[in-house]
Amino acid sequence: MTNNFNDVLDAALATGGDFAELFLEDNRTHSLQVLGGHVEMINSNRAHGAGIRVFNGLNAVYTYTNDTDSEGLLRCAKQAASAVSASRETPLRAAQPGTPASLPAPYPILIRPGDVNSKRKLEYLRSADAAARAVSAEIEQVSCSLSDSEQDVTIVNSEGLYVEDTRVHTRMACVAIASDGKEKQQGHEAPGAQMGYELFTERVDPVQVGREAAQSALLMLHAPECPAGVMPVVIDNGFGGVIFHEACGHSLEATSVAFGLSVFCDKLGQKIAADCVTAIDDGTLPNEWGSIRVDDEGMPANRLVLIENGVLKNYMIDKLNALRMGMPPTGSGRRQSYAFAPTSRMRNTYIAAGTDDEAEMIATMGDGLYAKKLGGGSVDPATGNFNFAVSEGYLVRGGKIVSPVRGASLIGKGADILLQIDRVGREMKMAQGMCGSISGSIPVNVGQPMIRVKKMTVGGRA
Amino acid sequence: MMMDDFIQKLFAAAKAAGFTVAEAYLTKNDSFNAVAMNQEINRYSSHISCGLGFRGLFGGRMGYASTEAFDDSAVDWLVQGALDSATLCEDPTEPFLYDGKEPVAQLPLTGRDAPATEKLAFALAMEREAKAYDPRVTQVGHATVFTGNNQVRIVNTYGMDKQYEESVCGAYLQPVAREGDSTATGMELCFSRDFDRLNAASLAQSAARLAVEALHASPVVSGCYRVVIQNLAMTDLLGVFSSAFSADSAQKELSLLKGKLEQSIAADCVTIVDDPLRLDGFASRPFDAEGVPSARHTVVEKGIFKTFLHNLKTAHKDGVLSTGNASKLGYATSVFVSPTNFYIEPGNQPFNALLAEMGDGLVITEVDGLHAGANAVTGDFSLLSKGYIVKNGLRERPVEQVTVAGNFFEMLKNIRAVGSDLRFPEGGIGSPSVDVGMLSVAGKNKEDMDT
Repeated sequence: MTNNFNDVLDAALATGGDFAELFLEDNRTHSLQVLGGHVEMINSNRAHGAGIRVFNGLNAVYTYTNDTDSEGLLRCAKQAASAVSASRETPLRAAQPGTPASLPAPYPILIRPGDVNSKRKLEYLRSADAAARAVSAEIEQVSCSLSDSEQDVTIVNSEGLYVEDTRVHTRMACVAIASDGKEKQQGHEAPGAQMGYELFTERVDPVQVGREAAQSALLMLHAPECPAGVMPVVIDNGFGGVIFHEACGHSLEATSVAFGLSVFCDKLGQKIAADCVTAIDDGTLPNEWGSIRVDDEGMPANRLVLIENGVLKNYMIDKLNALRMGMPPTGSGRRQSYAFAPTSRMRNTYIAAGTDDEAEMIATMGDGLYAKKLGGGSVDPATGNFNFAVSEGYLVRGGKIVSPVRGASLIGKGADILLQIDRVGREMKMAQGMCGSISGSIPVNVGQPMIRVKKMTVGGRA
Repeated sequence: MMMDDFIQKLFAAAKAAGFTVAEAYLTKNDSFNAVAMNQEINRYSSHISCGLGFRGLFGGRMGYASTEAFDDSAVDWLVQGALDSATLCEDPTEPFLYDGKEPVAQLPLTGRDAPATEKLAFALAMEREAKAYDPRVTQVGHATVFTGNNQVRIVNTYGMDKQYEESVCGAYLQPVAREGDSTATGMELCFSRDFDRLNAASLAQSAARLAVEALHASPVVSGCYRVVIQNLAMTDLLGVFSSAFSADSAQKELSLLKGKLEQSIAADCVTIVDDPLRLDGFASRPFDAEGVPSARHTVVEKGIFKTFLHNLKTAHKDGVLSTGNASKLGYATSVFVSPTNFYIEPGNQPFNALLAEMGDGLVITEVDGLHAGANAVTGDFSLLSKGYIVKNGLRERPVEQVTVAGNFFEMLKNIRAVGSDLRFPEGGIGSPSVDVGMLSVAGKNKEDMDT
């Protein structure tokens, strides 16, 4: 088979490309949903295909196919080669010679998803469902779902790289809806890891997942609207880390930096955040949701310090943008599947633990918002304008939490917000999310200790 | 032919395993995508892919499985997966497949594609034109051109075998304008069935104008404002909340519209239509994901809620006929309900007349963060927004870093006027600009006004 791969890479380079890469994938996913107490849906999918990428100077051509026999791959390679000749406009620059890397050992996967029968999987969902319903008669609807995937990849390139890897992901989600007959509010929990079903013995208690989602929904149902305005905001640990992900993380990806499309271009070695802020993007944490033993370009994962005591240290760089930027790649090349060319993406990205006392943070904030749980958000890296939703918030008056509030969102500019952080707590916690960008939707962790931002615009009702 | 053989093998194996009826949903997709940056094509991708979604009835329950691999183990993967799924599912509704052999409506859903070189030139031209529009446009992000051809075929053991083909092409770009310490972006996009109807210069100029006009934007003071939501932003909102009109959502207690049929849910000036046969939207199709023929439905008529959108299962449960809104995301998902070309019917006031009528207020041109900041179940939204201040019916200055918050279902009732500028920017959701009355806006505090 290796010989065949070499033929494929040769065919891809036939029109003068500088570098060729083949990414082969077979991904079995299984998803199950219990809705309103009964099994609503069980579905399995086998995604299967190959992507071929050819560098042409600083530009890239990508083709993909489901037809992965020798002929299919050759056809796909020839298609890429003809696109190279169609789009060649720039002088050649030789690809950097590959450094054959020794990969870290695979993460231990104790209970493979394929070895767990659906009945067993449904038991986890039923316990989460029952726990959510038990919270209150006002819990009107509960949707619990489980999804697992086993992705086999083979990455081969014209620099002699040959890597095989298997990635196993398992995640549970519970959405609870509370209603008083007139209004509805929603609570949401979705823990996961790069694990098999040992997830449920080692990390996740379905009962707690269901209960937390329901309690959050119930709390928000009886909460008044969040007042709008500019105020200090304390953001709790865990999924609160989405603030760094949106406000800063995306703008440190080579995808925007390499093209001068980020507010953090040309800022390496400069102070971009308050002294108390150190931020890491770590692909090496065993079994974490956003970890990668090897990235989708075949490079081993590493731990990358993005910001150290407020000073910008590193960007996240994929192989192609490394050429463009004249800097080494950082093992950050990721993609959703063979249907996407890889690009620089986050892995487990978090603000590192600080030294501030969490209780003091709230006690000395005056009037403001305590954002305990956040929903997702988004950012325009060119302007740094970001937004995210607060799924569980509390109004603080004179340093005391006075009431839960609903419907809040937080907005700002990344470059401003990092300088406005004045407290970083001691207990860092991560949470799981799916991050969408040009190379598709991929699993990432966000994380932080509790932090305080001196001033933020809180969207709510005026 | 090879696919026909595979389907025959699959149906035979399904029958042997005890499935009483079986169906294969096949997609074939041929697509092209190129991005220009600094007058080079820096990303270029093309592919052909196909997938098969299988479903069948076993013991009166529906089972699902799907694949992109068509090797020897694929039949077994599909049958065993669907068997597992059907055996354990507890959906109390008796599911069934469509037994429809009526002829398929012939819709003109394809147009001229262009050779790759022409498409690459288009992407480069967009970037050039955007920069030429104004010296303050320093960069152009995401200057993308794409084309796609999709084929959908549904075959089942009742003997139904239907297919259609559609093509779509489009382009978008996000110019970045800079002046002093202000940076602003604008985004424009254009879809068509026919490549010849895309115009690089006008698209690029309109995007560049948006970026330049947004320079030196600043927040407004927090408060309640009269608001006109421009067509593209209104389309985004309508898209998020469209799931509330699905019978599936209502039956699952996920819609506040449950129990509201024949009641007033919106202002008299609001009519909402779902029309898969309309050709200027991009969700047009002759039949839905279960093979049910497409038809136009008035969902909200002058404020009165007339019908939910249905597939076979939800219709059966409510004792009505399917509206032909069965959908799948690609080949792999189970069948759900979603709108097709779903839009607010245009009124007769041009956009400027809406502003004149409003007098003083805000125009919202863009909303962001919809996936987290807007919730279809609760109706609540609180969204980062861009736009401009209107004084005496005229544009005054650009606004950014504000959020606009409200509840979609309350907002529908407060709509004062609907514009005539209906647009389907992408996909099937469309809207004209709408005067929504008062909304909460969060920006700067009053005491910060002079800083």
